[in-house]
Amino acid sequence: MTEREATAPAARILAVVMIPMIAALNYVGGVLVELTKAPIWGDTWATMLGTLISGLWVGAVGGFLYNIIMAFTVWGLPAWVWGTANIVVALITWICIRMGWDDLRRPWTLIPAFILFGPIYTVYTTMVSILIFGGGPLWKPLPAAIYAAVLKSTGNFWLANYVQNLSTEIPDKWISYIISLLIVSRVPRRFILVRR
Amino acid sequence: MGVVRRVLLDKRVLTGDSIIHRLDPRPKFFFFLWISVLAYVFYDYVLTALFLLVILALAAAAGILRRILLVLAVIVLPGFAFAIPILSVLFPWNETLMFKLHILGFELPLYYEGFTWGLSWPLKIAVCVSSALLFYLTTEPGELIALLFKLRLPYKFIYMVTITLQLIPLLLDEIQTIYQAQLSRGLRTKANPVKRIWNFLALVIPLTLSSLMKVQTRAIALESRGFSAPVRKTCLYDIRLRAGDHLFFSAMIAVTLLLAYLYLLYGFSPIVHLKFYYVAG
Amino acid sequence: MEAVVSFEEFSYSYPTREDVLVDIDFQVHRGEVLGVIGPNGAGKSTLCRCLNGLIPHFYGGRIRGKVIVAGLDTQEHSTAELSMKVGLLFQDPIEQLSGVALTVEEEVGFGLSMLGYPKEVIGERVAEAIERVGLKGLEGRSPYELSGGQQQRLALATVLAMRPEVIALDEPTALLDPIGKYEVFGVLRELASEGSTLMVVEHEIEELAYIADRILLLHGGRILSIDESKRVLSEVSRLKEIGVDPPSVTELTYLLEREVGVALGEYPTTLPEAVRLYGEVLRS
Repeated sequence: MTEREATAPAARILAVVMIPMIAALNYVGGVLVELTKAPIWGDTWATMLGTLISGLWVGAVGGFLYNIIMAFTVWGLPAWVWGTANIVVALITWICIRMGWDDLRRPWTLIPAFILFGPIYTVYTTMVSILIFGGGPLWKPLPAAIYAAVLKSTGNFWLANYVQNLSTEIPDKWISYIISLLIVSRVPRRFILVRR
Repeated sequence: MGVVRRVLLDKRVLTGDSIIHRLDPRPKFFFFLWISVLAYVFYDYVLTALFLLVILALAAAAGILRRILLVLAVIVLPGFAFAIPILSVLFPWNETLMFKLHILGFELPLYYEGFTWGLSWPLKIAVCVSSALLFYLTTEPGELIALLFKLRLPYKFIYMVTITLQLIPLLLDEIQTIYQAQLSRGLRTKANPVKRIWNFLALVIPLTLSSLMKVQTRAIALESRGFSAPVRKTCLYDIRLRAGDHLFFSAMIAVTLLLAYLYLLYGFSPIVHLKFYYVAG
Repeated sequence: MEAVVSFEEFSYSYPTREDVLVDIDFQVHRGEVLGVIGPNGAGKSTLCRCLNGLIPHFYGGRIRGKVIVAGLDTQEHSTAELSMKVGLLFQDPIEQLSGVALTVEEEVGFGLSMLGYPKEVIGERVAEAIERVGLKGLEGRSPYELSGGQQQRLALATVLAMRPEVIALDEPTALLDPIGKYEVFGVLRELASEGSTLMVVEHEIEELAYIADRILLLHGGRILSIDESKRVLSEVSRLKEIGVDPPSVTELTYLLEREVGVALGEYPTTLPEAVRLYGEVLRS
């Protein structure tokens, strides 16, 4: 018998369809957050999910595409920079898979993932929000109050932004990560292209 | 569903016929890029407000002013509401006192630097958001595809952009179905935050699973229809530059020259003469 | 007769499932309609996927033997190349849409535009294909606004526009309502009478009996029989043994013979045939 493996075009064409699906799911995640009033942003979970299912490139490009499309339709041009944040999300997810920080049944394995998604990822978003968006307060009462409080007590613009972003990124990214792990655990094996 | 989401959704039923709609997508697209970049080149709230006015005037000509204002009201207005008061008082680089506000026996000094910062940045974002909407809402999906072809982007990318835009309404329809089903099974939206996350899960898991099933089938269907054929794909849509488009381009070039002159003369803040663009440290 | 499709000593295993097809050896001749029947899991869909090279190029797996379609070895030619020779129609009309076309017309032209045909040629072929499946007048509609039967006919038009030498249909009416089924089979009958080469996998054996010249009976990945439709469908006990329902008129005749002792001499497979045979018996 001649042995044949699935050839490159198959993986490539799957990616072509998977990437827009991730982008659309990110968008729809945002809508679902509005619908359920869940306390998260909800528009990076599909990037994590895509990375968990189809690997780093598909997840990163899918997340990036989502932000590109939003930037060119609703959010305005500079919002494309958030696409790089989505790439960072995919990268962190990828690291977590590689390191095995992704086992829901052994919650302590998630701790390093939480550190990456919390304090470390937020350094990046803080840079973006100051350099591209001026670093004002977020337009939600609680983070804005935190922002004002830190600014008042320390007078440090960067720190105020950082702490404010922590207050939104931590719940969002932690919950999104758990959600995407939960979903992956229910996805039939044959869809999962990433080798663990 | 929120206003911003609705703008995208309504796109399906939105067709208009106006001077702006009839422009070729290329001048509209470059105008969007051009004015967004300008909003960042200058740090001058009067000039930025002028940019915004120009966009809003074009939006009015296109008959979509109300929709754009609605979006701005939701995603930019709160920006002013939070940023101006907080930064006027607490911006670390505040030095020019405007006046002192007396509330409830407290004396709040308001400063010019923080005030302008809180005014300028949301204005910039307003320019970017409204110019993006102006382009997107007046461009037919077919024109958008033709534009991407003309920009010589790889077909895979064109396909991915187009299919994302088409997938979104399909997925939203599906959500409606799942949402109704879960409501009838006792999902309550007025719940505590933890419960709301469970609600989110109850919707997102079935949606994702059914979406993944579709990915494979669609990939097979695409492949069966020659998607991977190594040839230059045919664009099924035509776009052509007409006199009006050339006029539009010429106006943009003229304004660019004028603004370049102003920049060389006065720097990034030609009208209100602000002192610094980015904060140091 | 010229063979458009020929399976030569072909065996196949998916990466995750062994021996899905074993020692498959048959031909589809130009201008004939070959029906493929068999219980679930017999390997019918897998058979279709072999025609345009999805197997092995998309699915991978282990292969022995060859599949030659229109003179091309499917293992050596890509699915994109084969898409001009073989049209594949799936169960779900929605999922085989390109997803990017805004109108029926664009959807039909999608395949040709993927192969880089000039716009004029595309326009011509699209108009022709839409006409053949009876969707004229709906060119400007969104594919998503069509009924199930219309969508499946649209999918068929997308295949016809490529002018393939053979069309493989994998249960094209399984997800349609009765009206949709009727519409699709209407088009299939026309195609069959025009001399198109078709390979039709179908559970609707009643309908298949009308259009199929020959029928291939597949079970457990092996060919149980391949012969003229009437012969294969007349083996009632064998069909029922593996869980395939023969046409009701055929089964009726079989049961009458076995349980009542009334024999017609032959088994009708379609209603007109049954009317004729029973008419003769009852008149005498």
